Amino acid sequence: MSNTKDKLSDAALVIRIKDDDSKALEEIVKRYSNKVYNLAFHLTRDASAAEEIMQEVFLTVIAKIATLTNEAYFATWLYRVTTNAAYGFLRKEKKFSDQPSVDDMNQDQSPTYDWSTLPDDILLSEESSSVLRESIDSLPETMRTIVIMKDVDGFKNEEIAQSLGLSVPAVKSRLHRGRLILRRTLSDYFRKYSDASGEDV
Amino acid sequence: MNCKLCSALFQEYLENTLSEDLINELNNHMNHCERCGIFFRTYSLTVTLSRQVETPSCVSTEKIQRLTALLCERLLSK
Repeated sequence: MSNTKDKLSDAALVIRIKDDDSKALEEIVKRYSNKVYNLAFHLTRDASAAEEIMQEVFLTVIAKIATLTNEAYFATWLYRVTTNAAYGFLRKEKKFSDQPSVDDMNQDQSPTYDWSTLPDDILLSEESSSVLRESIDSLPETMRTIVIMKDVDGFKNEEIAQSLGLSVPAVKSRLHRGRLILRRTLSDYFRKYSDASGEDV
Repeated sequence: MNCKLCSALFQEYLENTLSEDLINELNNHMNHCERCGIFFRTYSLTVTLSRQVETPSCVSTEKIQRLTALLCERLLSK
């Protein structure tokens, strides 16, 4: 029985959940719990909130599954429920900081220092990770979610677009702008390692 | 190929969705334009570092089992 469930598509499992099949629900939880947890954790940076969100998300699945008319879109619907729950938590906790203006960051005209040649122990240091993490956290809400979904959690552009109710070009545009902001932050941070000969181009 | 078009194509380049002709044009431009070459390397590395900024977590089996039990109970009591 278990093997049969393993082979079923998400859509087939969703149809069974609509008929109150608990084994199908178990399989869906098995497939998606870690993805939902990781997305919630990366958006909230709070492990216990992520666990609560994960539970809330799957309870929503049970309560609202009948409203999902196209079963093939289950995964993106699930991610949308997850991001909404995470936004709800962040708003309740007032964890959205004042966001920087993006307008002046569209075109990065800053001098370019080639920090890509720095050794791994600098690039991968805890301090540089912390700088990058803080920079991701300070991105505007939707841009931040897109960067986390794409570059941290490895979602496809189409999945992100459907989850957030955006077009793929809108996702790509925000992703590119977000990456430019992060690149700029890292350039500023790594500049302290530039040598005296002056590496600015 | 100019610098503006070059930087606009970084994303597609990383996603491997450019035609061979455009890849060649882009590479040719970056070989001659130091600024764009550096910009691409640091842009690309920013993406790589973002991937490593968080370690994926796993929810414990015990928690999944508790959650599954709760969900099945709710499903059957609907």
